[in-house]
Amino acid sequence: MIAWQRMLWLGAPLSLALVIALAASIGEMQVPLAITFKVMLNGAGLGSYEIDALQQGVIRDYRLSRAMAAAACGAGLALCGAVLQALLRNALAEPYVLGISAGASTGAVLVMLLGVGGGALGLPLGAFLGGALAFALVLLLAGGRAGGAQVILAGVAGSQLFNAMTAWVVSTTANAEQARSVMFWLLGSLGGVRWPDVYLLMAVVGIGWLLFLACARILDAFVFGEDAAASLGVPVVAVRVALFSLTALITATLVSVVGAIGFVGLVVPHMSRFMVGPSHRSLLWATGLLGAHFMVLADVVSRVIVPGQVLPIGVVTALAGAPAFAVILYRRRRTV
Amino acid sequence: MHAYRKILVAASLGISLFAPTLADASGTDYPLTLDNCGHLLTVTGPPQRAVSVGQASTELLLSLGLGSRIVGTGVWFGPLPEALQTANANLPRLADNSPSFESVIGTRPDIVVAQYTYDIGATGHVARPEQLHALGVASYVSPSDCEGKATTAATNADGERHRLYSLGLVDREIAELGAVFDVNPAADRLRADLHRRVDNAVANGQASPQVPLSVLYWFSSSRLAGDPWVAGKYGAPELISQILGLRNVIDSAEEWPSVGWESIAERDPDVIVLASMQRRRYDADDVQAKLEFLRNDPVTRHLKAVRNNRLIVVDAQNLNPSMNVVDGIEQVSAGLRASAARQ
Repeated sequence: MIAWQRMLWLGAPLSLALVIALAASIGEMQVPLAITFKVMLNGAGLGSYEIDALQQGVIRDYRLSRAMAAAACGAGLALCGAVLQALLRNALAEPYVLGISAGASTGAVLVMLLGVGGGALGLPLGAFLGGALAFALVLLLAGGRAGGAQVILAGVAGSQLFNAMTAWVVSTTANAEQARSVMFWLLGSLGGVRWPDVYLLMAVVGIGWLLFLACARILDAFVFGEDAAASLGVPVVAVRVALFSLTALITATLVSVVGAIGFVGLVVPHMSRFMVGPSHRSLLWATGLLGAHFMVLADVVSRVIVPGQVLPIGVVTALAGAPAFAVILYRRRRTV
Repeated sequence: MHAYRKILVAASLGISLFAPTLADASGTDYPLTLDNCGHLLTVTGPPQRAVSVGQASTELLLSLGLGSRIVGTGVWFGPLPEALQTANANLPRLADNSPSFESVIGTRPDIVVAQYTYDIGATGHVARPEQLHALGVASYVSPSDCEGKATTAATNADGERHRLYSLGLVDREIAELGAVFDVNPAADRLRADLHRRVDNAVANGQASPQVPLSVLYWFSSSRLAGDPWVAGKYGAPELISQILGLRNVIDSAEEWPSVGWESIAERDPDVIVLASMQRRRYDADDVQAKLEFLRNDPVTRHLKAVRNNRLIVVDAQNLNPSMNVVDGIEQVSAGLRASAARQ
């Protein structure tokens, strides 16, 4: 490992902390940097400064929780993308290609507009169940031993099916205002995130990250094809099912809290591969950290770019992600 | 009463004096032609079969004593106000939401009266005006939803206004429908009654504070703790604010923009008006959920309006542009009086 890479490993968590601190200090409400700093010291148990309750609340309970949730979501989505790309040997694989977001939307819409579950089933749980169900259906469609192409095609078909169901429910029951809220749900929003959500997201993403890392070698083997993996003694079917389920679980959880946020799972793994190479041990670390940076910054942009208003974060991730993806594609074309 | 409010109220009364004179004492002269939301509406005689799309339109027709001529209704939000319930227990209901084109036509109406251009308009969910006119059916859309207001790709689904909503638009709708249906005396009585109620609400309003109180109108939110939909600077709530001498903290031309709680905390309103509704689509539709959120959220519980318990509950439909805004003025005025008495 060359020296600058080592620096990068040391620097990345630190810079993530800085980016989160930055996110906590930027917003509509003007709060002096010193006060933001004191609030964070208070929060970390390192100080007991007297601070205006409104300012303390905004920084600790709105901005900081939101930034942490953004970091967890960014890391989770990017990791799921990296793992799916390896498992399916397909550069286009990402959670949403496999129908999870379409299913989550259908689940949310059923709860929101038709009251499925009679109130016992909240919106997030509806989204979670819809997403998990769609993913299971896509795997079923693809058949047990399907290769990458079949799963992607099954994902496309599954997404169409669930999108059609969503459109059906929306157009038969919703008026303009409700349809708009469904739209909002589809685009994703970190607006309602509070600390309990953050703990859930961090636990799910953190555990997933460790499990993925534990499978780094196996993922390396998968890149060379299932036969190669099998010849190395990897229990291919069991590992595939386990890793697919884990990505489905993580993505469905994320969607249920913040809605569907596209492009992160697709673009960030490619950016990371570009930076640290294809070995999954370093790739998974880089992908998670880069995803977290990307999403926190995207959220800051979504909050400040239009004064007095918050853009859906999916708009920002797509606007920033699409050109980045184009650059990567262009560079690859030149090297091939 | 502040001088500027006197002027405002006088202006709103003035508009009623200059409201279109479409009829003399003997009644409407047919054929009657009106410019309605960019279309010419021509009626050759008083319509006998009306479909009303939108609860505010239904209530207006009932208030004009036209219940027996309603052959179909749609776009309901909740039960009718008590005063209107008794006389008309069984209104034919085509759909709870937007009725289909064929179900409207199937009632063989000679006019369709709509509350929203969303239903009868360029991208009409029920029909475009031309489609109705081609079948010999007249259409009338509330000027409240098209005069000074537009819903475009650049706005959210509730649209955007570029001038302040006014009682003049309510007056105009009542006068025009009174003329169309040839019930002009009833229309005059209704308008006079609304203006008398506004004057009373202003006279009985807050014990004038030196500085106008700032206010936020919270309708609902897609997620309870998420960014709420609040009233913009030109809609019906702004009319309530202007008449009662309040200052809206939100400066957006959108009818119901979605604004973050941090932005609201930054502006720290003196009063928060909460919409109460029958709808239960989002958690925040329930006014109790809204109150609980405001009192428990780590930020909103420190807002001035919450600490001083200046939270006023108003029926949601009284915050949307129609003659119900007069009920809204009365409810907010009473709420201000009650909270002033508590202080």
